[in-house]
Amino acid sequence: TQPAVGTPKRNIQLSNIIEECSNGRRVSRLLELSPKKLQPLPEEEPKTPKRSIRSSSVGTTRPSSASKGTPKSANKMKLIREGAIKPNIHSRDAPVQGEGNELALARERLHVSATPSSLPCREKEYEEIYNFLEGKIFDGCGGCMYISGVPGTGKTATTTAVLRALKHLSEEDEIPRFEFVDINGMRLTEPRQAYVHIYRQLTGKTLAWEQAYNLLNKRFTTKAPRRVTTVLLVDELDILCNKRQDVVYNILNWPTMPTAQLIVVTIANTMDLPERLLMGKISSRLGLTRLTFQPYNFRQLQEIVMARLAGMSAFNSDAVQLVARKVAAVSGDARRALDICRRATELADDQARKTSQSVTVSMIHVQQALTEMITSAKVKTIRSCSRMEQLFLQAVTAEVTRTGIEECNFLGVYSQFEALAAFSGIIVPNPGRAMAICSRLAASRLLICECGSSDIYQKILLNISTDDVHFALQASKLL
Amino acid sequence: MHRRTRLSLRSSTINDKENEQELASPRKRRSQLPVSEKSAEQEEEEYVSSPKKATRKPGRPRLSRVEEPEDGSPGKGTPELVGKLPEREKEYDELVGYVENVLSTDGSGSLYISGPPGTGKTATLQRILNHPSFENALKPVYINCTSIKSVGSIYKKIAEELALKVAGTTEKQYQGAIEAHLERKHKTIMLVLDEIDQLASSKQTILYSIFEWPARPTARLILIGIANALDLTDRLLARLQARCELKPYLIQFLPYTKQQIVAILKACLAQTDSLSRFPEAALGLLAAKVASTSGDIRRALFIARRLVETAKKEDRKTGSTIPTVVSMGQVMAVLKQVYGASQSLSNDLEEGFPLQQKILICSLMLMLKHGKNKDITVGKLYDVYKTICTRRNIQAVDQTEFSSLCTLVETRGIVRLQGKKEPRMHRVCLQWDEEEVTSALNDKQLIASILSDVSCLGK
Repeated sequence: TQPAVGTPKRNIQLSNIIEECSNGRRVSRLLELSPKKLQPLPEEEPKTPKRSIRSSSVGTTRPSSASKGTPKSANKMKLIREGAIKPNIHSRDAPVQGEGNELALARERLHVSATPSSLPCREKEYEEIYNFLEGKIFDGCGGCMYISGVPGTGKTATTTAVLRALKHLSEEDEIPRFEFVDINGMRLTEPRQAYVHIYRQLTGKTLAWEQAYNLLNKRFTTKAPRRVTTVLLVDELDILCNKRQDVVYNILNWPTMPTAQLIVVTIANTMDLPERLLMGKISSRLGLTRLTFQPYNFRQLQEIVMARLAGMSAFNSDAVQLVARKVAAVSGDARRALDICRRATELADDQARKTSQSVTVSMIHVQQALTEMITSAKVKTIRSCSRMEQLFLQAVTAEVTRTGIEECNFLGVYSQFEALAAFSGIIVPNPGRAMAICSRLAASRLLICECGSSDIYQKILLNISTDDVHFALQASKLL
Repeated sequence: MHRRTRLSLRSSTINDKENEQELASPRKRRSQLPVSEKSAEQEEEEYVSSPKKATRKPGRPRLSRVEEPEDGSPGKGTPELVGKLPEREKEYDELVGYVENVLSTDGSGSLYISGPPGTGKTATLQRILNHPSFENALKPVYINCTSIKSVGSIYKKIAEELALKVAGTTEKQYQGAIEAHLERKHKTIMLVLDEIDQLASSKQTILYSIFEWPARPTARLILIGIANALDLTDRLLARLQARCELKPYLIQFLPYTKQQIVAILKACLAQTDSLSRFPEAALGLLAAKVASTSGDIRRALFIARRLVETAKKEDRKTGSTIPTVVSMGQVMAVLKQVYGASQSLSNDLEEGFPLQQKILICSLMLMLKHGKNKDITVGKLYDVYKTICTRRNIQAVDQTEFSSLCTLVETRGIVRLQGKKEPRMHRVCLQWDEEEVTSALNDKQLIASILSDVSCLGK
């Protein structure tokens, strides 16, 4: 039971260390302090503080590897930073037994994380990235590439698939060997942490970012005859851009050195990011190899879903087409389509359990899943509001139509509110009460209220269209 | 300007000597003698040979080393040009002349080099730093200012590069150490600060203090700043104008012209034996296009490289021994792909543009064309969009979905959202002009029908 308690903690600590090294140097001070205390011991050698701590404090129990026991915290951190301990998660005793059901199998295959071995409908892009990377690896020179496209169009999946294929080829000595490093802008707490992550993937050691930068700079600017090409994949490039843009500059400047042999592949959503966000000198270095991933159209989405369900009869093909058409009309996001399909299988599963007979996913289930996903929660919220709140919303819309400006103040709304209440024969709540109503509506984001000034002059904005209010209230027969 | 700076230099060096004689300790004076003799000797030597050397010597012997063993494309990355820079001889000579001049007067000077990206500023400077005749006379320090942690840590970096011993670890102590070093006897330092605009701060104390070093009486420092902005010294360092001896000497790197790009590309291609692949006209076309847009040599090299790569691929495919010649059509195709961003967009968009996004853009165009208020927020746009959808019997998406649709359109660069906090209150601005959008959407019927439907706007 010991590792079960210990391991998740270890995982957290690793990420903490990277933080602390960069900011406060708290860890290293901790490391420095303990040897200092022990240094006066005469027989210990000052240059091996690790041993001195252990022999004095831990004494006999001396863990030889990470898996056995838990070393002292400072030592442990040191080991983690040196990459001697690998983070691991406690595993189950036995894998979970899945249901043998066809629907369950389909659901598993439809999961977003289950990347298929070959990506349908991205052959052209695959070819282009492959040619670029293969050429650069063969020539042993550096270069940059910029890949853009809206979310869920298979950018990262395609790029990693290319790299997998190349890695496989290099293992069989068809192409020269290369190293692969990937960083993701969203996984960094700060742009400069990129250096730490790159360095850790190259050597396994965790350092503060300054040191990591210096070592990386040395690595890429000095000549080394036996150096192999490094491929660096930078996902979410726009997160790495801070005001000074020094991280992006450095990452894109290294490939221009003849000694670096670095290939940088950058991925972001925005098509015109280099022109919009990056400085001139950086976009000049980024070069002109650009590739744009277009959103999937409905045929492609259909093909993707069908490829995942190959050899299964769990899905009605019309149902797949409906999903594909609906998603392609809005965003062309493959993740969305897969999620809706998954939800539809869950609904079908429910029905199968209720009726206890096998069910294929049909149009009804997909329609249900679609309404669940696309349905507007706001109309429902308005309908379930109390009568006074509904009246207040109505007053806001009335005020908006009266003044013609979207922004109205509480005083005007309150007079409308009074009129409406008198009209429907309700006792009007006093302004304090009305303000409470208003703040409740603001909390559910039906209204936007100016925070801070909660007096009668506060500005009120409608966060939904007036039609929605009318539509919702018509059904509840208030109007 | 040049004149004045030189004059000022001379006056400062005169001051220098006077000061030294007054202040310097005997030990110092003794140590000074041999150094100055030596440097004088060297300079003489330089003066005899320098014009030839400057143009010829650094170029040739490097060539062989730079050349890649493989033929074809690998020689065409930017850095390979460092050894030899065609079409930057004039600037190079000017720089060498300036540095020699400063060395001969045994004084110091500051330089500011500006120019758009990709015009060979850093490459020229690297060449100067590697200049053989300066090797003994100068201590070169090259710092790229993007590599420092914060603006203040530049002193630390300089101190490290000069291998100074510093008492403490604060900025001030590092600065003090550098300044003390400048007071002492030393070899002339050539301090090159690349991307110097990174050092700008609100009060510019650091930039000012660095630019004031050359004017110190005993300092022998050639300070060279590199950046893109033409008027950085005037804009950020207005106070330097007040004292002539502080004013940096300005050198501009103009964007490359067509002829220059052709010459560079030819030199590059000759180096890798692939000149025969390029007909003269294709090179001319490529250079004309690049020169007319940016004059950035990185772009020209990039396009040339790409063309050679495709040609080589063709070779491999056909297996012929005669190298494939790059055709004009290929050059045109690559240029079009690279430069005509939105045009190429429309080709790809045909199939891939989702219907709802089309309607969104159309309703935005309708509002811009016929609406009274051009200040369009997401909320207002949503109202119009919804009426259009209901007219057309299309299911409209709800508001949260709609604001995410807006961000999707934004990633294409067609619109821009200017944000306040609430998504509903974001302002929507159309970034492309109407014709571009029409050609991109490629659905004239829909656009025409929506744009004529003015009644959707009103209540």
